[in-house]
Amino acid sequence: MAKLRPKAESQGEGPDGGYGWVLVGALFVSTSLVFGLMRSLGIFFVEFVQYFDESAQAISWISSTGLAAQQFFSPLGAALCNAYDTRWVVMTGGCLAALGLILASQATCLVHLYLTMGVISGLGWGLVFTPMVATVMANFTRRRTLALGLAFSSIGLSSFAFNPLFQLLVELYTWRGALLILGGLSLNIVPCGALIGPQRRSKAPAKVVSESGVSCASFLQRASSYLELPLLFERPYITYTLAISLLNVGYFVPYFHLVAHSRQVGFSEYQAAFVMSAAGATDILGRIASGWFSDLGHFRLIHLLSVWTTLAGVFIMLLPVSSLSGSYAALMVISLLYGFCSGALTSLVFAVVPMIVGVERMMGALGLLQLIESGAGLLGAPLSGLLKDITGDYTASFMVAGGFVVLGTLTMVTLPHYFSRKDPPPPKSLSPEDPDKAAELKQMHSSPSDMNDLTGEVTNNRLPEDTYS
Amino acid sequence: MENDQYNLKRVFSIVNEEDLGSYTCEFGSKAKIDFVLAAPQIGEVRDKPIVSYVGDFAVITCKMEETKPEPRTWYWYKANGTDKEQIIAAEEPLRYEIKNEERNTKLVVSSLVEADGGLYFCGAVYAISTSMSNVELKVISIHEPLKPFVAIVIEVIVLVAIILLYEKSQSKKNNTAAENGTTEQTNTLTQGESNGPGESSSMRQRKV
Repeated sequence: MAKLRPKAESQGEGPDGGYGWVLVGALFVSTSLVFGLMRSLGIFFVEFVQYFDESAQAISWISSTGLAAQQFFSPLGAALCNAYDTRWVVMTGGCLAALGLILASQATCLVHLYLTMGVISGLGWGLVFTPMVATVMANFTRRRTLALGLAFSSIGLSSFAFNPLFQLLVELYTWRGALLILGGLSLNIVPCGALIGPQRRSKAPAKVVSESGVSCASFLQRASSYLELPLLFERPYITYTLAISLLNVGYFVPYFHLVAHSRQVGFSEYQAAFVMSAAGATDILGRIASGWFSDLGHFRLIHLLSVWTTLAGVFIMLLPVSSLSGSYAALMVISLLYGFCSGALTSLVFAVVPMIVGVERMMGALGLLQLIESGAGLLGAPLSGLLKDITGDYTASFMVAGGFVVLGTLTMVTLPHYFSRKDPPPPKSLSPEDPDKAAELKQMHSSPSDMNDLTGEVTNNRLPEDTYS
Repeated sequence: MENDQYNLKRVFSIVNEEDLGSYTCEFGSKAKIDFVLAAPQIGEVRDKPIVSYVGDFAVITCKMEETKPEPRTWYWYKANGTDKEQIIAAEEPLRYEIKNEERNTKLVVSSLVEADGGLYFCGAVYAISTSMSNVELKVISIHEPLKPFVAIVIEVIVLVAIILLYEKSQSKKNNTAAENGTTEQTNTLTQGESNGPGESSSMRQRKV
């Protein structure tokens, strides 16, 4: 069996296979049911304000709690996938998300909504998103960024579809019935998880079973290895996480304030809303285009990411400048460019992670990244609001936001091997006891530019076995 | 006559509701203007019905804009056939509650039953008359949203069953093939096939 292994690998039964695209579809659906759904909850808030007689700010805490819970529980989801089967974690997450919404439909006070729509659904979403992203990324090498870009385009597309759909549901069934039906829709995450198929995590405690009993220390040690806590002590990972957190501070500011800024400069409600929609459309385009372009392999992913983040930061800073002249066309152009760049960088943010920590530790790395960057995201909106209150308009907010984004890029530049032409070799996270596995990992870690060199060799061996992929 | 324009003025004394209505000023056959005298009308009218569930409560609101004068008080009416019946909250405090602030009013109907559905009128009372606006209340049973919900749950269960069963049949096929397998190569390849859709190859473990 051993001598046949290398041949099997070069026959392309590994990454980029046909089934990988099925998983991309599953990620598409589940991402839309997590983030697309979260973005369209605004429809319900008007109803909640009236029914519960509460302020808009109190109601907006519902979605803040949900998003915070999703990000907070991401490392937990990652750790559970390292310990157990990914598919069951995702399926459980789907059930929890649905349960939260179904219980929310019976809410009699605001606190119920925080606990159900916020905590329970947020926990479910946390168990779904990171594991599914990591699974898709593990199934692709050459087309990883394109796969992610296609899947993440679902966020923009689904919020286009969900807004009118939710409006209709609320009109027909009021918010209670609509939430109940949303719970049902969220259950569709479960078949997405089922598509992952059975897995054996390499971190499964096959070795640990021999230990006598479960002691606190051994549990903590295993938990820390599942959560990939040692990553927090590695300079490349910390640098990257810091860079993405800085990016997060400024990234969301236009989403919160662009409409208000447009109105303040003097444009009508309709014009301001149209600017946002247009930016949303180019966002979708940017995700897919960047994914496709990155996988062509002409440049290193980290370099492309730096370009997009710099451009996004610059355009954020240009937003208030463009409206200074009072020209709607200028504002529209800058917003379109901003939308494209911000979409383009989202595809890459996740794809760079395995380049830094290796595919083995990707799951936990993504979880921790989500948790840490969420803290930064929470800072961004209040900070920009504060700046607006102090200075009177949004110029300072956008300037500072753009500044944070560019600062994130500068932080990325300090990554080791940043200026080299090729990606650095993958970090040695496994002991070399399994030479076949090491060879396999080498193939997984190869960047798209490396793969082009191997293509000739791969296709020659692949032809008769094409039917298997 | 001033500046080549005729200015005509007439003072009417509007005492009670009958004096309101449509007035016309005619200047021979050359000019004619209509005036409508009325109490301030309620501008923001909700055209979509308010929906609520049997057993739940519903809140119906009416507002008078800032630009128009404040009404003295608000009254609520429920349509009864072609007639309007005034709702007096004091008579049925468990079912109706009316909260009046100067410019807006809220009618809370609790413990809804199907018969509570229909047209409700809010009246802004002024000394001269009352201006009305109506809102429709629809009461639906809890079974309404349950139908699409159950349909979706069934769809999810069916999908999951299909996926799991398909996977089981694939692995059974591969197991029997493995038993009958003649060459080691076929063995590896079929094992690879059953692993392909299921496992991410980076995490592939050698199944002994």
